[in-house]
Amino acid sequence: MNELVRMDAVGRVWMQGKTRVPVIAFFTGAVLPGDRIAVMGPSGSGKSTLLHIMGGLDAPTSGHISWPALGDARHLRPQKIGMVFQMTSLLAPLTAVENVELPLLVGNVAPVEARAAAVKALDDIGLISIADKFPEELSGGQAQRVAVARALASRPKLILADEPTGQLDHPTAQHLLDVLLAAIEYSGAALVVATHDPAIADRMQTVWHIRRNGQEEA
Amino acid sequence: MMFFLTKWLKGVLTHRPERLLETMAGVALTVALLASLGIFVTSSVQVMTRRAISDVPVDWQVLTASGADMAAVRAAIQETTSCSVLEPVGYADTDGFEAGSGNATDSASSNGTVQTTGPGKVLGIRTSYASAFPREIRWLTGARQGVLIAQQTAANLHVKEGDIVTIRRMGLPPVQVRIDGVIDLPAADSLFQAIGMPAGTAPQAPPDNVLLMPDAQWRALFDPQLAARPDTVRTQYHVRIGRTLSMDPDNACTEVTQMAHHLESQLAGSVAVGDNLAARLAAARADALYAKVLFLFLGLPGAILAMMLTIAVAASGSQHRLREQALLRTRGASISQVLHIETLEAIITGMGGILLGVAAAVLIAVSTGMAENGNIWGWTAGAAIAGWILAIAAMVAPAWKQARYHTVAASKTLMRRTGDFLWQKMWLDVIILALAGIEFWRTASSGYQVVLAPEGAPQISVHYEVFIAPLFLWIGGALLSVRLWERFLSHGRNTLSRLVHPIAGNLSDPVAATLVRQRFTMTRGIVLVALAVSFALSTAIFNTTYNVQSRVDAELTNGADVQVSGLTISPPGGRLAELEALPGVTAAQPMMHRFAYVGHDLQDIYGIDPRHIGDATHMSNAFFEGGNARASLSLLEQHPDGVLVAEETRNDFQLQPGDTLNLRVQFAADHHYHVAPFRFIGVVREFPTAPRDSFLVVNAAYLAQKTGSDASEIVLLRTSGNPVQVANRARNIVASLPGVRVTDITAAQHAISSGLTFINLRGLTRIELLFAVVFVMGATGLILAIGLSERRRNFAILEALGADHRQMDAFIWSEALLMLLAGAMTGALLGVGIAEILVKVLTGVFDPPPEHLYIPWGYMMLLATAAAASTIIAVYGMKLIFRRPVVEELRNL
Repeated sequence: MNELVRMDAVGRVWMQGKTRVPVIAFFTGAVLPGDRIAVMGPSGSGKSTLLHIMGGLDAPTSGHISWPALGDARHLRPQKIGMVFQMTSLLAPLTAVENVELPLLVGNVAPVEARAAAVKALDDIGLISIADKFPEELSGGQAQRVAVARALASRPKLILADEPTGQLDHPTAQHLLDVLLAAIEYSGAALVVATHDPAIADRMQTVWHIRRNGQEEA
Repeated sequence: MMFFLTKWLKGVLTHRPERLLETMAGVALTVALLASLGIFVTSSVQVMTRRAISDVPVDWQVLTASGADMAAVRAAIQETTSCSVLEPVGYADTDGFEAGSGNATDSASSNGTVQTTGPGKVLGIRTSYASAFPREIRWLTGARQGVLIAQQTAANLHVKEGDIVTIRRMGLPPVQVRIDGVIDLPAADSLFQAIGMPAGTAPQAPPDNVLLMPDAQWRALFDPQLAARPDTVRTQYHVRIGRTLSMDPDNACTEVTQMAHHLESQLAGSVAVGDNLAARLAAARADALYAKVLFLFLGLPGAILAMMLTIAVAASGSQHRLREQALLRTRGASISQVLHIETLEAIITGMGGILLGVAAAVLIAVSTGMAENGNIWGWTAGAAIAGWILAIAAMVAPAWKQARYHTVAASKTLMRRTGDFLWQKMWLDVIILALAGIEFWRTASSGYQVVLAPEGAPQISVHYEVFIAPLFLWIGGALLSVRLWERFLSHGRNTLSRLVHPIAGNLSDPVAATLVRQRFTMTRGIVLVALAVSFALSTAIFNTTYNVQSRVDAELTNGADVQVSGLTISPPGGRLAELEALPGVTAAQPMMHRFAYVGHDLQDIYGIDPRHIGDATHMSNAFFEGGNARASLSLLEQHPDGVLVAEETRNDFQLQPGDTLNLRVQFAADHHYHVAPFRFIGVVREFPTAPRDSFLVVNAAYLAQKTGSDASEIVLLRTSGNPVQVANRARNIVASLPGVRVTDITAAQHAISSGLTFINLRGLTRIELLFAVVFVMGATGLILAIGLSERRRNFAILEALGADHRQMDAFIWSEALLMLLAGAMTGALLGVGIAEILVKVLTGVFDPPPEHLYIPWGYMMLLATAAAASTIIAVYGMKLIFRRPVVEELRNL
């Protein structure tokens, strides 16, 4: 089976003045279609950076990354990889449905089709009633669910979620995860979630543990 | 505390210097503009005063009473004025003059015609007088010494140098004198003023018949008349004041007036002072006030705009500050400590801004030469204080308000406002605009009198209410544009989506939605740009109109680009063909200039070709009652015997169109004045070369037919090149004609600039237009900087969602172009409206008033280019900022 993402000894170093600060070191791993992977590690261990590298938002300073099943790194988002962030990442000037259709429009889907897909994505996660509300009118949980809908709307093959429940209480977090898992179950997409929460990690097939210096544990 | 503050300041200067530099630049701009404008006004007033003083032909004419102790008078004048020049002048009244026509040796004419005049005056002057007061006498023909006859008197008597004139002395036998030269007395009004009489109680018009002769000869002829009729012979002392006067016309006028009072009290009953200098300075007072009014009209909006921009710049970082304050407060800092930080930043910003602003103002003052004419430090200090207050108001006051009343959560409500402002609910914008309209109507109905300077009043005042119309138009227009743009952005999403489609393509709808949701920020940006553009345009249009009108004024004074004027006996009209053929001359028109009696009033009469006079000089609509030059001239053409008269003449003689007006004009055959019938057809207010009081305009052909002479005493030349060069060439052509004078428009412009009419606005124009460009650039750049952190976050999300640079650019460019174009459009409307009102309200400045606004297309192109360039720079600057790796922003999501 073609790997969605393949990482070989990936490393990432940040520069603080003249000091090199390693964030990730020698990380090797792969994501296959349908995978459910939790990335766990303490704060500052490089979980977010790893997801950014996997999403093509950042480049490794050492090692190699490729997307065998997804193609050119310049065309990963939004159709092939969807992203969900820790805090609400909705654009404040746009309503929920406009936020959801945005990646589709960015991907040059016709506006009418994009709107239909956005409505369906919201409907799929039970949020059609708040489609015309602005982000500031939504609760934290609702906003994150809209963000999930946005990530799903373009039917990506891989979803990268960076602590999507980090700002939510436990029941809301569980509910969001239910929604996310149900949606990818339906779409067949792979999911990589960065999290601190063992309860979330328990619901994944695989867990990648990362130590503080960004090295892979298992 | 000090350690903490120092640490904080070091941190700010190291990591976020832009937040201080931006506000500092705003303060500097405000200080530089205020100081520059102030220095300009001070400098202009001083130049105006200096010119006013130097333009007065004779400062004082001190009339001595019969039997006064002349030595004591001279001593008192010396002591009071430290005079540099003191010349005695004898004035003798006569019953008139006589001369025989065509006889150069005797009053008894060989052909028997004798011309006589009515009462006249003979002045006795020393040989040094003409050089002491060069503006009093202009030599036309003949010698410069001896017996000199005024041009009009020579024309009346038909004499020239070498002829004999009989003076009919009062109570004594007549005496004969030989004429040595013909002169003009340009300052006859003041030379023959009634001194010591209350205004209006004595005839003010100068005598028509005047002779000047050497002091000794005059004494020989009129000492006997002094003995016989002491009331008909007087001595005046003409004085050039030696004391250094204040450069403020108001103060200088007071000083001179007090000096005159002092002299009169010292020599109680012996002298009366004809204070020409005080009269001129009194006029300059009004001019100076006009200058200050102009400063207010033209400069103040710029200063207010600079302050608004500064406050907007400071406010653009308010969200970031709010977060900092919240963080400080949660770490235990008190409100007082937070305010200490803001005060420290305000002090640094204020000091830096003031230093930069003062440096810029001094640079401008020195480079434009204004520093030589004015006290630059007074205004600079005032501007620095204003800058200091601005820094505090822009930085500390909002910080105090935020620290006192706001929370971090509240900062998120920036875009959440849904209701109208109180002023919107009260329709204050419409009310203010209505008030502007009412006040404009009131000003219009009062004849646009801005400066009230009643004759003889010790104080003058400005009719400050006239400020209300343009000020309220500015404020009301700005508020109304806020209302209208908010309304458009609220309801015009589909329109916006269509408008941005060429830039945004598939993303046009989200882009339009973003614009709509940010309508309050967008509107603020649009209005800032609009105010900057309106300031630039209103200033530019006013100044261009003013400059064009100054030229029209100069052309009115000089008659045309070049004027060739002479005497009836040697008219330049005879050289018309040669003058017309000169290189650089595009049109030449002859014009008769004679004199005619309307009743007992001698007036200038101009004979023109109404069909072609406009070829050589500008015929302004304002010259004619009814405001239509073409119609008035056409009417004159249709009525060969038609005459256009002054309004005063029309009223005095109760003339109705079609009435016959019998004028007495001098016939060439006998040089006597005879009645010639004319038909009253209309009123002329002003005319090229004509005096400001009453005069007449008729058809040249009819005047020639009636007088028997077709001599054209004036030729007007329109030039395509340099008028000075054309004037020089024209001088060569008419050099052989006695008494001919050639003047060009540049000399008239210089003469006009000595009055209020007046301040050379080029300096002000340069300053304001320069600042206006900076404002427009600042506003267009600033608007994109407003909400930068929010924008940065949105762009990070867009990039994370997969948007490419072109798609992200669509958001920035849509915002930038909407603000630029909407602001420019609104500003253009507002600017033209304000310029229209400014020109109307300041009608008193213009002579004649302009017929329409003059648009400075070149400057507008420059402005548009600057605005476009600043927008492009701002957009690319923003893109540079956004080039920061997206992951850095995403860490905060």
